[in-house]
Amino acid sequence: MNWSNWFKFLAALAIGAAAGLVYGWLISPVEYTDAPPNILRADYRADYALMTAEAYQKDRDADAAARRLALLGSEPPAQIAASALQYATDNGFTQNEILALQGLLNAMQTYQPQESALP
Amino acid sequence: MKAHLNRIFPPLLGLLCGIGLGLLYSWQISPVAYIDADPSILRADFKDQYRIVIAAAYDATRDLPRARARLELLGGDPIGELSAQAQRMLAGGEPSERVKPLAQLAADLRQGAASLPPENPTVTKAPFAGAPFTPLPNIAATETPALAEFTAETEFQPEAPILSTPSFEQTPLSPQEFSTPTPRPTFTPTQSVNAPFILVSQDTICDPALPPGLMQFMLIDARRKQVAGIQIIVTWDKGEDRFFTGFKPEIGDGYADFIMQADTVYNIRIVEGGTFAPNISAPICGGDAPFLGGLLLTFQQP
Repeated sequence: MNWSNWFKFLAALAIGAAAGLVYGWLISPVEYTDAPPNILRADYRADYALMTAEAYQKDRDADAAARRLALLGSEPPAQIAASALQYATDNGFTQNEILALQGLLNAMQTYQPQESALP
Repeated sequence: MKAHLNRIFPPLLGLLCGIGLGLLYSWQISPVAYIDADPSILRADFKDQYRIVIAAAYDATRDLPRARARLELLGGDPIGELSAQAQRMLAGGEPSERVKPLAQLAADLRQGAASLPPENPTVTKAPFAGAPFTPLPNIAATETPALAEFTAETEFQPEAPILSTPSFEQTPLSPQEFSTPTPRPTFTPTQSVNAPFILVSQDTICDPALPPGLMQFMLIDARRKQVAGIQIIVTWDKGEDRFFTGFKPEIGDGYADFIMQADTVYNIRIVEGGTFAPNISAPICGGDAPFLGGLLLTFQQP
């Protein structure tokens, strides 16, 4: 191959690679179907923490609340609750919801893990 | 012709190689990283856990529109998924206390109204407009119909749960110069939601098309509406089984069933209200060709 052909080959290679990247990243990106919860968007994470807080308001089971929060990632439960509370404060959650999350945060800050039969 | 091929071949080969490399990189080596996923793409076991938490939160708040909106985030048929999960949990030996909130939520979704008020007075129902999804337009669009349902639900008084305790708001009274006695609210006895179910009928079913020894339950409340989420315990000399009504919605919300064995005596207990029905056994049907028949037990709240 002469230089001209090499040039054409490399130019086409670059154009093809760019086209492949556009297709693979933008037009038809990889679709996740079995995602873990730690990649949930911040508002869903906050809502999940709020559900945990609402349940905790009723059952006062800190162990169950900590297990539920653990679904959101490997951070300490208190940190997850604090992040959710921060999100709630910044995004206009109602006073009742903020109070529920505050209660959950308080519980998680003093929570000591115990042996439990449930996962 | 050969010269023409020599001109076309290098760029064509380069283009194909480039596309292949681009796809390899974008799909395999460095695919789009999801960092802001929604719950619908969660793995099935995480969805199950998510539903448990939704049901636990609903158990505390009785905010049905919000529970529905949360379940819809997971995709699929919310009621069907809840019922199926509750059945899986029961089959897996999960304690009934963990399963009941799921069954209750499924039943309430089916009825379109919360069946019981929050048990804990410290848990207050937050206004739906303050839902955490509202800042996001795509989610807000999902919740708008639920808000409409909520409004319709609250206006539909006849379906409101009957409470045993009357509640009223005390208006602050200003001092009066001449105080006249104001009639106090009088207590009106009302039907309790936890009234015991009474066995009102026990019918023998001799249908060879049905499974032999099928014991069918139908639980009805005082308004003659079928009641889901009621736990039934069946005991016999060699064992015990626990299950809930409402797991076969295609038959009825208040329906449950159990397979009896021949020559075995069963005792039935309806957990809610503590009704006990002893000495139940499968009947023998048919004259010339006898077969094990079934029973239909109907329980109703007075």
